[in-house]
Formats: sequence, structure tokens, C-alpha cells
Amino acid sequence: MRTSPLRDRLAAAGAVFRERHGVEVAAHFGDVRAECGAVREAVALADFSFVRGFTLPETPGIDFLDALLAGNVPKIRFGRLLHTFLADADGRLAADCFVANNDQEFVLLAESILPDEPFDALLASAGIESPAKDLTGDHVVLILDGVKSWEIVKKLFGADVIGLPYLSIENYEFAGEPVRFIRAGKTSEFGYLLVAPVAIAAQLFDTLKAEVEARGGRLAGTDAHDALRLEGRFFNIFREGARVRDPLPLGLQWMVDFDKEKFLGSDAIKQRRLAGLKQKIIGLVAGADCTALKTGVKIFHDGQPVGEVVADCLSYVLNRPLALGLFPVELAFSGLSFHVGSADGPMAQSISMPPIMPRSLAVKLDEM
Amino acid sequence: MSECATKSIARRRQVIDTFKQELIRRLNLPYLPEDLHEDVALLGSGLGLDSLDALEIVLCVETCFKIKIPDNSISVLRSINTVVDFVIEQQDLNGGRP
Repeated sequence: MRTSPLRDRLAAAGAVFRERHGVEVAAHFGDVRAECGAVREAVALADFSFVRGFTLPETPGIDFLDALLAGNVPKIRFGRLLHTFLADADGRLAADCFVANNDQEFVLLAESILPDEPFDALLASAGIESPAKDLTGDHVVLILDGVKSWEIVKKLFGADVIGLPYLSIENYEFAGEPVRFIRAGKTSEFGYLLVAPVAIAAQLFDTLKAEVEARGGRLAGTDAHDALRLEGRFFNIFREGARVRDPLPLGLQWMVDFDKEKFLGSDAIKQRRLAGLKQKIIGLVAGADCTALKTGVKIFHDGQPVGEVVADCLSYVLNRPLALGLFPVELAFSGLSFHVGSADGPMAQSISMPPIMPRSLAVKLDEM
Repeated sequence: MSECATKSIARRRQVIDTFKQELIRRLNLPYLPEDLHEDVALLGSGLGLDSLDALEIVLCVETCFKIKIPDNSISVLRSINTVVDFVIEQQDLNGGRP
């Protein structure tokens, strides 16, 4: 099982570790509610070194990535990111990916639900010899999320960073080493990913942690991030992605360039698209005292099972259980009532997502 | 399914279909209406539309549904579903007139 280069520091900070798809992650630091709260009200630091990272030279990197990924890689403008996915030959999700066009190189960051070996085999199946340099072992990926996260990156890297648009990449230095700086959070608050060499990982982690704590923030684990993603209705490959695997019911068509002739899994995905959508996911919310709205539980309507919960969390903003359910398209509308777990189980309502209004939307960075 | 739920779905589906078709036409999006999940983010992530597109969405809603979207309406424009919620709410306030 792969572990983070920062494992000792995370353990010293009280991390509770868990295995996830062949990688050990810091699941939480003892208080998931406080970790979520830190992101919504201040800032939190998390170790995302479970993410697979690669760099590729521009040529032949573009062709290689375009043959693999569902999105249109040649269309990525300089300094910008594409959010797309990697599927297997059957068109089943394997990884949620960011691809960045970064000054003579492309950067691929992949949240994979395949362990490292089968993931590498999938990359090798593109039909083009891989030009990718694997950063995974010798780099760390840290992420700062929260309404105050911009204050820290501005202090460390200069005022220019707050002018960077969402889904962009820039290169900075920290302690004399290059840091790839990416604006791309998935919590709906400001989010900044830092990809840094292991040589400065501990120093960068300690510096960021001190800055976070000085602003009332704290370390956050993957449990908090899973809840924050669901509240913000960001796709989560580790939850609904791993459970459903088909990008179409998950509503990921926006990650696909259907005009592209070929990508890995394209034949299967296009065939299913042509056959028509049968199911899709929708948001569900239950009463504060409902404990039944959990992943895997059946959802009932008119006495019949009609759907299934595919992701769940306790939303600390709503103070209620929140979930995604997979339903037949004819019932996948917000504003309907269902029973959870049995025909006479507790009630849940389908809702429009996202159900929260992040504080970061009220902050105008260009006026800071 | 109850008659009330059936009516509610039919009304919502009509608003969704109208909005999606107009959104695709105005912004020249390379998708079919059924490709657009109602919860997909309109701005930033998801469809990745920009501030100019946001103006076009406002015009789209105002033209299609004869409804005024107030300034600073970022919460309305977050997803297709949040737009549809706003349209239905405004129609109800106007006495149920579509």
C-alpha cells in the first residue's frame, strides 16, 4: 500500500489513517465537523498525495493524453486546466483528472479508484508509448481550502496568485524549489493545490500548517473533503464515482468531448449515450434525526423500491443528512418525497443541488 | 404516483426542457439537452461558463419565462436546477402564470 511522504507529520498531528483503493489516506484528525467548519469559515490544509501526478512534454504529451482522456486536451489554453476523466475500455470510470497546460509541459493529476499497478497498465493501453514522468513518489500534493485560503497563498507567493482564475496553473518557488500552483478546489470555497518536490515537503507542510492555524484553521482529512464535495455538488470519484462507474448517470457528460473520434472507452460511452439515459443521480436530504440515509440503502416510492443511495454525508452547514440517490430518469426531479430503507421508512426529499451557498462567493478577490 | 407529484414533475420538466434548449442554442453548447444534468454547475466548474455567458443566461431566462432576475443573483445561476427553482417560485408569486 502506498503511503504519503508526509505520513510521520500527519501521524504526529493525530491523523487516523485508512486504506482507499490501494493508497493510505489521512481520513480525519479526530473531529470531522471542525474540519468541515474550518473550510467553510476559515481555512484547512490537507495532504492529497494520494493523487497520482505526472508531467509530460508538450509533444507528444498532447497526443498521448488526448488518446486517453474524455476531454479535449489540445483545446486547453496555456496556463489553464481541463477537468475530465479517464475510463477503461468498457467506458467505466477509473480516475477523475485535471490536465494542465503548463509552459512546455502538461501536468496530469489523477484521483484514481484503481491501485497504482492497474492504473499504470491503463495509461499504457493508450496505443501510444507513454512519455509521462511519474511524480507520485517524489512529490507531495497539498491543498489549502477555505474562505481565507487566499490570504496564505498571497503571503507565500505574492499578490498575483489571487488574480488567477479557477482552473489555472502557475509556477512559483518555495525554499528555492519549484512548486506547481493550481487553483482548483472541490469544496466550493477557494482552493489551491500545491505540487512540490519531496525535498521541501516537510518545510512547506509546516509553514502552511502554521499559517492555517494562525487563521483559526486546522488540518482536514478525506472524510471532511468527501462531505464538503457533496455539499458543493462536486463529483467525487471515491464515493458516487466508485459505486456507479458509468459517467452518464453521474451527469459527467460535460467532461466529455463527444465530437472527439476516439478516447479510452469512447465506443462504450457513445453507445450508451445513443441508447438513451435510463438513470441519473439526484440530491436527497432527510430530517436531522434520520440515521437511515446511508450509501447502499434502497429508496422507496409508492411502496416500491425505485432508487439507491450512492453517496452520503452529514452536512454540517444544513445540519441534516445529505445524499445522492440513483433513480430512473422519470423520477429524477427535485421536490419529490421518498421513503428511506423501506416502504414506510423515514422520509427524504429530492432537492436541487448544490444546497448551500459558500461564503467564498461573497468574497471579491479582485478587490483585495 | 400521486396526481400532485405527477403535475409537479410535468411542470418542472417543461421549464427544464425550455431552459436547456435555449441555453444550448444561445451559448452554442456542444451537447444534447439530455447531456446536461440539472445539477451541473453553470459557472466555474461544470460547464465552465464565464461572466459574459452569465449575462446570456440571465437574458435567456428573462426572455423565455418573462421573469426578471435581480442583480447579484449568483445563487440563482449556480445550476440548471437552481435556475428552474427560481423560475417556478417566481411563476407561483405571479399567480401561477407561466
